Amino acid sequence: MHFLGVDIGSLYTKLLIINSGFEVLYSDIFKTLARNNKRDDILSKLIKEYKIDYSCSTGYGRKLMKSANIVKTELYCASAGVTQLAPIEKTIIDIGGEDIKLLKSGANAKVIDFYMNSKCAAGTGAFITEVAERAELDVADMSRLAASSKSVKELNSFCTVFAKTEIMKWIFDDTTDEDLAKGIYISIANRIQKIPADNSLPVFLIGGVARYHPFLKNILEEKFNIKVTIPENPQLINAFGAACIARNSFVNK
Amino acid sequence: MYKINASKELKHIMKNYFSDLKNSPKPIAWCTSVGPAELLRSFGFEVYFPENHGALLGATRKAMDTIPVASKIGYPSDICSYLTADIGSHIQKSSPLLKHYGLESPPRPDLIVYNTNQCREVQDWFSYFGDQFNCPVSGIVPPRHLDDVKQADIDNVSSQFKALVPECERISGNTFDIDKFRHTLRLSKEATYLWKKVLETSKNSPAPISFFDATIHMGPIVVLRGTETALDYYNLLLDELDVNVVNKTGFLKKESSRIYWEGMPIWGRLRFLSELFAQHNSAVVASTYCNSWIFDDFDERKPFESSALAYTTIFINRSEKAKLKTLKSLIKDFRIDGVIFHEAKTCFNNSNSRFGMPRKLKDETGVETLIVEGDLCDLRFFSEEQSTIKIETLLEQISS
Repeated sequence: MHFLGVDIGSLYTKLLIINSGFEVLYSDIFKTLARNNKRDDILSKLIKEYKIDYSCSTGYGRKLMKSANIVKTELYCASAGVTQLAPIEKTIIDIGGEDIKLLKSGANAKVIDFYMNSKCAAGTGAFITEVAERAELDVADMSRLAASSKSVKELNSFCTVFAKTEIMKWIFDDTTDEDLAKGIYISIANRIQKIPADNSLPVFLIGGVARYHPFLKNILEEKFNIKVTIPENPQLINAFGAACIARNSFVNK
Repeated sequence: MYKINASKELKHIMKNYFSDLKNSPKPIAWCTSVGPAELLRSFGFEVYFPENHGALLGATRKAMDTIPVASKIGYPSDICSYLTADIGSHIQKSSPLLKHYGLESPPRPDLIVYNTNQCREVQDWFSYFGDQFNCPVSGIVPPRHLDDVKQADIDNVSSQFKALVPECERISGNTFDIDKFRHTLRLSKEATYLWKKVLETSKNSPAPISFFDATIHMGPIVVLRGTETALDYYNLLLDELDVNVVNKTGFLKKESSRIYWEGMPIWGRLRFLSELFAQHNSAVVASTYCNSWIFDDFDERKPFESSALAYTTIFINRSEKAKLKTLKSLIKDFRIDGVIFHEAKTCFNNSNSRFGMPRKLKDETGVETLIVEGDLCDLRFFSEEQSTIKIETLLEQISS
């Protein structure tokens, strides 16, 4: 039996197929665009090819997948996905393109508590991209650069636009690329610091930002004195969780 | 589709109320929504409530145009959006009252009266209009954020009520008549009692009136309390809802969860939110906001003292401890599964999520709680998609 999880995020769409033993048989990531027909084509092809028994969609565009058997929020899918890998009580930090979600997830995958930003995109993937662009940093190279910085300098502004102005001042002051990259990461950590979380629990960092900026894990560990785990393929966890929910719902029907 | 038939009468009543404001030869008093309306009516004033106009500006989304106008003259968009929307509307000489009730603008005041039992902002809001209309402004400034309302507090506020009398006499041209005050207070008490019974019908499942419907049906208890009209209306509404309870007819056929809405309505998104909850068979059955016009303490035998008590003991004027106690009791009475705290960006006083209340409530009652950021009028502070995810996650939490 085969189960499909689809995570239609603000920037990327993630697809993942598992069998009843939770083994990943297929995964794909491509850009989410409203005018992108690729998603529907791929979905139809996959559903046919893999003889999908049940499916679950999630993400901002979760209601776009008309053929989905179940629609769930990404917070529940994050919880289901990480719980499948680590069936313990835990904190999950999911940093996506345009939001941060932080949740306390039970050993049984129940979302015990959650928080997400809803007024501003500070501390998200879009924040990093915008500020890095102003600093003329290659986002793919930022983790490598930040790893060799000893700086503790941080961007004070949560506002993305003002953070761009602030980083210009750093550039005027001849701040190195390494310190610029680390400063941007510290700013993200500062944003997360304000979110209520149970630091006594194991922390899992997931989402696109965890994939492209793995050094953020080191910053979080250092700043909060916690151990942070980035699971394999952190960007696919919500799609994996959606597939797990599809599988479990089908089995328990 | 579920429909409350009394809505037709409601429209009629509200239209007449505004028509009277336009045409009546009586003097006009402006009053805060939980201000001394009964005392003013006893002098023969027609009473107009600027907050009602604020809500209308929000519901029609006209506020989005008028708030920036107020910002330009020094009332920034992060203070009370009723205030900024209303002042902007005045400057712009543009009001939804024209389209809805045939009034080009709010009626010109002869007297303006506020009670800061809800917030200090009303004082500055009303003072602006005092200057604009060269109109006297009087106020009651009660002690705030109380655990319990003590006799000294009642004496203090009661004497402030009494101090309004000479000004009301001078402007209305009528001598104070305590029997008229007693009569108005009795009418108000009876209407608020019926309003309470109306809201309590939703203790039943399926609930016959939602929070979203109640924000509309509360019109008369805000603007017409102290009149026979309000009394008649709530008798009519209660009769209909009681029949629906007996027939097990509710606004949802099936209730998967029962929700309490804490804080101000998001006026410009009532329909959106109502539909969102309905899609998930989630019934929003009770609220702090609609409960704010229940005044159990009115007593015609002691009109000044009981007015002082009733208007000082309101939820918004209480301590966190007293608010928590009230919320816990309502959660139990209405069999609530989850509480949504609306953190209104421009309404600090009526946002109760900022001193740890959601956490305390969850710990002490076991109900799920969620903070939704938004605003009463300024939709720039409300993110529809983000809020949808949060609300849907809350409902998943409740159902899992």
